[in-house]
Amino acid sequence: MTPIAMTLTQTLVIALIQCVIVAGFVLTLVPLTTFAERKVLGYLQQRLGATRVAGGLIGVTGGLNRGMWAMGKLPFVSILRGLPFFVADALKLFLKEDTVPARADRVVFLIAPAISAAASLLVFSVVCFYPGTLFTFPAWVPVIGNCPLTGTIADINVGLIFMTGIASVGIYGIVLGGWASNSKYPLLGGLRSAAQMVSYEVPLALSLLTPVIISGSLNFREMTRTLAGLPTLDASGQVLSQMPVLELIPLFIGFFLYLTCGFAETNRMPFDMPEAENELVAGFHTEYSGMRFSFFYLAEYANMIVVATLASAFFLGSHYLLPFGLQHYIPESIPVLGRPNLLFFLGKIISLLFVFIWVRGTLPRYRYDQVMAVAWKYLLPLAILNLFLAATIRYCL
Amino acid sequence: MRGLLKTLIPGEIAKGLALTGHHFFRVFRTANRRKVPFHFTSEYPEVPAKLQPRFRGRLHMLLDEAGDLACVCCMACVKICPTGVITIIAGKKEGRKTKIPTRYDFEMERCIFCEFCVESCNFESIILDHQFELAAYNREDFSLGIEGTFQNMLGLIPVAQFSIAEAEKEK
Repeated sequence: MTPIAMTLTQTLVIALIQCVIVAGFVLTLVPLTTFAERKVLGYLQQRLGATRVAGGLIGVTGGLNRGMWAMGKLPFVSILRGLPFFVADALKLFLKEDTVPARADRVVFLIAPAISAAASLLVFSVVCFYPGTLFTFPAWVPVIGNCPLTGTIADINVGLIFMTGIASVGIYGIVLGGWASNSKYPLLGGLRSAAQMVSYEVPLALSLLTPVIISGSLNFREMTRTLAGLPTLDASGQVLSQMPVLELIPLFIGFFLYLTCGFAETNRMPFDMPEAENELVAGFHTEYSGMRFSFFYLAEYANMIVVATLASAFFLGSHYLLPFGLQHYIPESIPVLGRPNLLFFLGKIISLLFVFIWVRGTLPRYRYDQVMAVAWKYLLPLAILNLFLAATIRYCL
Repeated sequence: MRGLLKTLIPGEIAKGLALTGHHFFRVFRTANRRKVPFHFTSEYPEVPAKLQPRFRGRLHMLLDEAGDLACVCCMACVKICPTGVITIIAGKKEGRKTKIPTRYDFEMERCIFCEFCVESCNFESIILDHQFELAAYNREDFSLGIEGTFQNMLGLIPVAQFSIAEAEKEK
């Protein structure tokens, strides 16, 4: 792929457009995930979840509810009943008073949610949503005529390291928020999350090393291509290297390892120690309200999307159809299935988000010592063994 | 390895996920088909509420085979009523051996729905029906009787017909 010569302004404008698209995608997916969480949790427990919106505007919401009821008779649309909730949630958070506790460390208290949210959103800057050009702007567009819009914001060659580094900064938000609140429950929640999230960083990074070993690269775009099982070609079309089919085994194990660590990293249900509702009020964000609380909330759900994105990128074949490196069985000449597609990637991300909610609706919490035991005694050796297996297969074949 | 299986319990987790996944798809398929609901949510204003057979709603008078009131004015319900909400004035009717009430007043605002009146009745002339939407805008609307079309103990209270469930029942 020969890069088209672009001026600095054009590059910046294109990057800005890409940022807006990606941020818009994440920030719409987050409230939709909270809505889906209400509905899916309800369905898992034989309830209906949110079906109507109550409010002071009796005429409006009443009419809305009637309309939703009428709409719900269609089989698929029925899950969309209660959709106004996702507006109502945001409105509620906007209108709430933003309080700071007396004698809290004010600067740290105010900055902590921003750290969390920014860290979780920054990760998307190196994600390759589509290899190559999505579309080229027509010539009549003022500044950026004839410029291509690529599927990656920053195609850097250490993408994975950047990603894991930025993702670990998000822990600071939680720990600092808990410490700055000047209250015992947030402090305990922050300490717990520090221990838990730092522990789970280790097996998480080790399980992400498996795809690195297999693909021999840190660049997101190259990794996804190799991990889908497609051969690397040189200029004359000769096959330079290809992932052995046997690598499917470490990839499969690594997927589950990564997903388990991902649940712990995002403080989701089986491992929600930082936010232990039944013992720590609400954990690290007990003292937060209004938009600052919603930033923590946003960070948690954005982190879920990050984990889903990375899992589907490295283990489930990203923008190719088949997971675990089986894509080379479909020749590239087949029109849709053989080609990379943005929709495959989005579909994988969304189904992994469903898995997140599914697991939350099914599994009870682990005890604190069990959480730590799972990380250090079981997941860590398993991740190392898996890494060893991947390395052996790559060395021998 | 045993410690791993005992802590992470992958088999049990898979079993639980299978169960909840099954629930999800059953509810997803039947969410709005009222005949075969798999969920336990009651969508009350839109769907008529399901009541148990022994639910105690409003006092309701019954008719006999001839189409007259089955009440014979034995005053058992008046005597047993703990709040004294029933007043009966007995009268006569041509071709009927027993007495027949000319007035049967029921002041629902003080009724505690204890069903003693129904238990004490030996002639099966009153029941507590399944009507529970008893809100009204005026105090007078709670004074029920057997005269007139409004505030009639033989039918539904007009004030209570605002809900969709009742409107659908009338259709």
